Amino acid sequence: MDFSISKQEEEFRHELRSWLEENLPAGWLEGNKDLPNDKEAYSTFLRDWQKTLYEGGWAAVAWPKEYGGRNATLMEEIIYHQEMVRVEAPPLVNYIGIHMVGPTLIQSGTEEQKEKYIKKIVTGEEVWCQGYSEPNAGSDLSAIKTSAIKDGDHWIINGQKVWTSYGHLADKCFLLARTSNNQEKKHRGITAFLLDMHQAGVETRPITQMDGRQEFNEVYLTDAIAYDSDVIGEVDKGWRVMIALMLHERTGIGAELFTLEKRFTDMVALTKEYKVNGIPLIEDPFVKQKMANFYTRFRGSLLNYYRNLTTTLKKGQPGPESSIDKLLVSELTKEMAGFMVSIQGHRGVLWKEDASANTVWQDNFLASFGQTIGGGTSEVQRNTIGERVLGLPKDMGR
Amino acid sequence: MDFALNEEQEMFRGYLRKYLDEFGQTKIAREFIKGNSKGLDKTRTGLAELGATAINISEEYGGLGLGPVDLVPFFEEIGRSLLPGVYLETMAFVVPLLEKYGTKKQKEKYLPEIASGERSFTLAWLEPKKGYNPNEIACSANQEGDSFVINGVKELVPHGDLADTYLLVVRTYDSSEREGVSLVLVDQTEEMEIRMQKCVDETKHLSEITFDHVNISKQQLLGPIHHGWSILQEGLLYLNAALSSMMVGGIDKVVEMSTEYAKIREQFGQPIGRFQAVKHTIVDMKLELETSRSLSYYASWSLENEEEDREASIYSARSFATDAYIRAASHNIQIHGGVGFTEEMDCHLHLKRARYFENYLGSVTYYNEQIAKALHWIGEEYIFVK
Repeated sequence: MDFSISKQEEEFRHELRSWLEENLPAGWLEGNKDLPNDKEAYSTFLRDWQKTLYEGGWAAVAWPKEYGGRNATLMEEIIYHQEMVRVEAPPLVNYIGIHMVGPTLIQSGTEEQKEKYIKKIVTGEEVWCQGYSEPNAGSDLSAIKTSAIKDGDHWIINGQKVWTSYGHLADKCFLLARTSNNQEKKHRGITAFLLDMHQAGVETRPITQMDGRQEFNEVYLTDAIAYDSDVIGEVDKGWRVMIALMLHERTGIGAELFTLEKRFTDMVALTKEYKVNGIPLIEDPFVKQKMANFYTRFRGSLLNYYRNLTTTLKKGQPGPESSIDKLLVSELTKEMAGFMVSIQGHRGVLWKEDASANTVWQDNFLASFGQTIGGGTSEVQRNTIGERVLGLPKDMGR
Repeated sequence: MDFALNEEQEMFRGYLRKYLDEFGQTKIAREFIKGNSKGLDKTRTGLAELGATAINISEEYGGLGLGPVDLVPFFEEIGRSLLPGVYLETMAFVVPLLEKYGTKKQKEKYLPEIASGERSFTLAWLEPKKGYNPNEIACSANQEGDSFVINGVKELVPHGDLADTYLLVVRTYDSSEREGVSLVLVDQTEEMEIRMQKCVDETKHLSEITFDHVNISKQQLLGPIHHGWSILQEGLLYLNAALSSMMVGGIDKVVEMSTEYAKIREQFGQPIGRFQAVKHTIVDMKLELETSRSLSYYASWSLENEEEDREASIYSARSFATDAYIRAASHNIQIHGGVGFTEEMDCHLHLKRARYFENYLGSVTYYNEQIAKALHWIGEEYIFVK
């Protein structure tokens, strides 16, 4: 067992930290972390931030150097997330492009596709979204009905996508569509397309979430066009491309864990500060017990992650155990956020500018319900762990 | 980043697993329940031959000079097979304290014999109707010449009958504080009256031991006189790190039992593991197993490396694994259905062991309180053990 980091990794951290101090948006480190409300201004702000990251060489650290990356090791990628969380850096608007689509193109795109897309992903010039879920294909993604029909050198696409994060800001979409029907194996016959969002056949409608934000969208595809050159991988073999794409997002849970760590520290501070009847909340025996339990579980989740990371480092790619990390961190985030609202008493219902402590707690509480659904529900994660880690038999119908 | 047991430690686990498998794993415990301790005696020699009992004893006293992390596979494996005995108290309490506070004479007398598996220790702390607090220690050791004269009763002493020596917690001067508590190494003799106490976990022999004017040489005092309390607390760090591993071993076995059973047991024409109510329950057990294991590895690592967060880490491992073992052992019975409720299956043995450990040397509530204290959430004021 060894938790130390190498000299090279330490230098990586130091370099990034110094760079952030100089390049974060004005006033950010001093506490001015509000993002613009206006849709256009918001988009511009985040694209500018990504451009700044690109210019500093910090937009896609894990990418090969020739594509604008740093060839970062897995540990350096972890450090990258730690540092970004530490300063609560603005979100990466092209997260999907950087962490999923880009690496997939680098690995299995044609030369033409690499030439056309990669540079613009890393600069933030072209923001990507993913066209996966549909109204009748959620956890059962292989049930998608959006169709792509070949017509000469192009494909005509019809259907509807939903929960498309960043869809309203996106220029391009990594889209899954059905190109043939296989009655036995539904996931055969799906093809992955690189779709241009700026065309007449594509319409996005934002969905208002339960926390009031509009982060994802419905996408209507009506005779949308993709060309043969926009197919990634082989026709009818898009499922494989998607699985490979998901494996590229190898450190996303790390970022969520470091966020949880930060939130836990903030929680401790709040329970010391927040008084009921003159006594700090942390001295309330119930609160103290619960906080000790949260500490234990949060540390346990982090240490599980490090143990799985050790396996990933040895084997070269993450195993199904990453579902354990995803399940634990999302459920714990939800429970902790609920607890933080609860211990504020009836004032816990106050929101936004009237929030009793900081509206971030109410916002986190509401947003946390998305975490146990997005990226595979907790139930799907439990199936994955049961079947792929423990070797239990698959459910009927799958 | 390397957060895993190393190859040698995993290999050692393999040897232990194979060795205990040959004895039929829980068969040793089951025979012991019936009053036959031959298997246990054999493993005592056998484990010593494998080097297990020498792991954390320094080389000059016949040990391997290794630390808490090297004990992890050992405690996991004996937890898994529900091996009776006082390995926990001997190796993860008395050994580190003897190494640190023992006189040269004490070390020479005891450490080589522990390393060779010839001597075992147990902990005699609790007294009838009393708790773990220093003000509840009434068993007295009065100084008379070169001796202590010991009077009092200890109970719930783990394997008080089998252990060769007791680490006895005594009061050496009248006070209701920590001050005045001392530790004495008392070899078992016929002068002590031992009464067995029936225990729900029948793989554990608990004893009530009466000391009536028992003379013990002053040379048997461990650490400074009147200042034994803080030494006990230090010992608890080692013990709880190892205990967490022992419980991890138990949980590991229980998850394996449930998983295997759910694959082969068929109802409604299919294996019950296909039903999500069963599958997801086992997955939840698995999640708690992995979390317990991660916490316990880190607990031992932080202890070995004297990390600043070792107290919070050890207490959180202890706290989490305690609850997790009870939950997993309970679910395991439910998943096995009717046969899970029978004596024939091992399910109940794990539940009983889990409950045995629940409040051993402090409750989950107590250890949670210790976490809050170690992390400086609350003042340093004295917290009573619950």
